[in-house]
Order: sequence, then C-alpha cells, then structure tokens
Amino acid sequence: MTKLSELSGTDNYFEDFEVGAVMKHARGKTITPLENVLITNMVMNTAQGHFNVHAMESSPWGHILSYGGVNFSMVLGLSAQDCIENALEELGLDNIKLSKPVTHGDTLYAYSEVLSKTDAGQADAGIVIFRHYGVNQRDELVAQVERKALIKRRSHWGDK
Amino acid sequence: MADDFRARAVLKPKGRLYEDFEVGQKFVHHWGRTIHEGDTTLFSSLTLAFNALYFNRDFAKAHGHPDIVVNPHLLFNVVLGLSVEDCSEIGGPFLGVYDLVYDRPVYPGITVTAKTETLEKRLSSSDPKNGIVTWRTEGFDTDGKRIVGFRRSNIVRLRNPREAA
Repeated sequence: MTKLSELSGTDNYFEDFEVGAVMKHARGKTITPLENVLITNMVMNTAQGHFNVHAMESSPWGHILSYGGVNFSMVLGLSAQDCIENALEELGLDNIKLSKPVTHGDTLYAYSEVLSKTDAGQADAGIVIFRHYGVNQRDELVAQVERKALIKRRSHWGDK
Repeated sequence: MADDFRARAVLKPKGRLYEDFEVGQKFVHHWGRTIHEGDTTLFSSLTLAFNALYFNRDFAKAHGHPDIVVNPHLLFNVVLGLSVEDCSEIGGPFLGVYDLVYDRPVYPGITVTAKTETLEKRLSSSDPKNGIVTWRTEGFDTDGKRIVGFRRSNIVRLRNPREAA
C-alpha cells in the first residue's frame, strides 16, 4: 500500500498551525440543486422552503432558500483540505451562525482563523480550534462555524 | 366532476408554531435513518470534505477503523433533519447551533434516531410576529448510545401575532 504520509498534505500538521493565522481557501463552490436539494432530502429535512420552487415564489424571499445545514457544511468542506486533511477525528462544532440567506446560483468561499492549539491526551496529535467564515460572491458573510479537531503531529505521522 | 377531489380534500398540515412549544417538552422524532456508505461518500464529495478517512477505506483501516468513517457533519445533518417536522418545518429561519459534540466515530450501516427537548422560548423584542425557540437535540445508535448532541435556535412564527406596540 502507498505510504500514508503520501496520501495527504505536508503543510497542515498540528505543528504548522499558528494561533491567530487566517487562511483564504483557494476554491469556491456554487450552490445548485445538487448541493441544496440533494443534501436537504438525503438528511430527511422536511422543510419545503428548500425544495419547493413554486411555494417559495409567493414567499417574502421569492425563491428557494438553500438549507443552512448545507451552507455551513459547504464552508466546513471548502476549508477541509487546508485545516483538517490530517485530522484523526473531528470532535465538535460551536457558535454556528447563519447570517444571510443563500439561494441556488450563489457561490460560497471560505476563510479560516486558528483560534487555539492545545495538547491532546495522546502524544501523536493535538487539538486545534478553527473559526471558519463563509462569504458569498458579493463578499457578504453568510455563515460562520467553529470546529474542534484532533490533528496529527508531523513528529509522529510525517516523513522523517 | 373533475374538481370533486379538491372540493372534498382536507389539508393535512405539518409543523409547529410558537404557541405549540413549551419549555421541558420532549419529542421522539419520526423515522430514524440508516446511513449508508453511498450517503457519506456522496456528502463528503459534494461538500469537498477532503480528509481521506471519509472516502478511502484502506486509509481508514490503516488508522485503526473497521471501515470508512461516516463524515460527522452528515451525521449531524441527519439528526437535525429528523427533528425538522417537530421543531422547525414551518416556523422560520434557522439561526444557529451551539455546543455540538461528536461522541465517537461511526461507520456505514449505522441506524440513527433523534430526540429533542425544548429548552427556551422567548418573544422577539423587535418583531411582533416572531419568537425564538431553542432546543437540545441528540442522536442515538441502535443500542441507545448517544453519538451527537447540540443546541439549536430558530425564529418561530406566532400563530397569533401580538399587536404592534
């Protein structure tokens, strides 16, 4: 089998994160029915404002709203490679705030800030808390979420 | 009469409004959901969740897991999704989630059920049509062991809006 350390990045081990550093992630993604309707239905969310175009035409918004869980899951995804590609486990989320509606055709981009780094109860990894920000194509903040993850140390998992 | 069925039909409404919530009330949510390998792989691919534990079985096994790891954010979304009809289907926008804990990694094939308790309700100070309700929701496996827990808040519309001051 291919060596494990060759299957993931080399600049995102626990040692590489500095408290206070902010990253701009390279890729954005446009929210289409593939993201919103598919995931909303797959997770059994029954609120039709996310999947009934006709009903939403007569709502105050006038169009479908992408489900907030999809929006911040996209922000968690857009930031994943740079932040948690080398995570052993994602431990939790906090302070998720949804500040602007998102609709089909909107594009999301992500930024991340390193809030804290602490030792874990094991020598080969440490705990990092990130705050991820999601903005739309107009640069408006649409979602933010804090994520706690147990991240590999290069000293144990990286190439010597 | 082609229209007869419409004239005779009685709407089967879904969802709850502000007046339907009381602090301490408990819900066991409908359905449950078995999470399949295809669900989590598709979710991880669509959201660009690039940690190979979520889509490379050899990689996951080399880290001591028996199978690929279910993306925990899918698990959370399923538990929240199961709670929507009881809590937030028609009330209004989703505001936030707090203190979310993933208790342990879970694997494809797991069957998840969800329960909720209403923690708080308050009227909006600025909007006579709406209130804010906060719940605590938890997801459980087949043996009743907790796998995820969180608080969430939504705007919830009043059935009977207050007179504007």
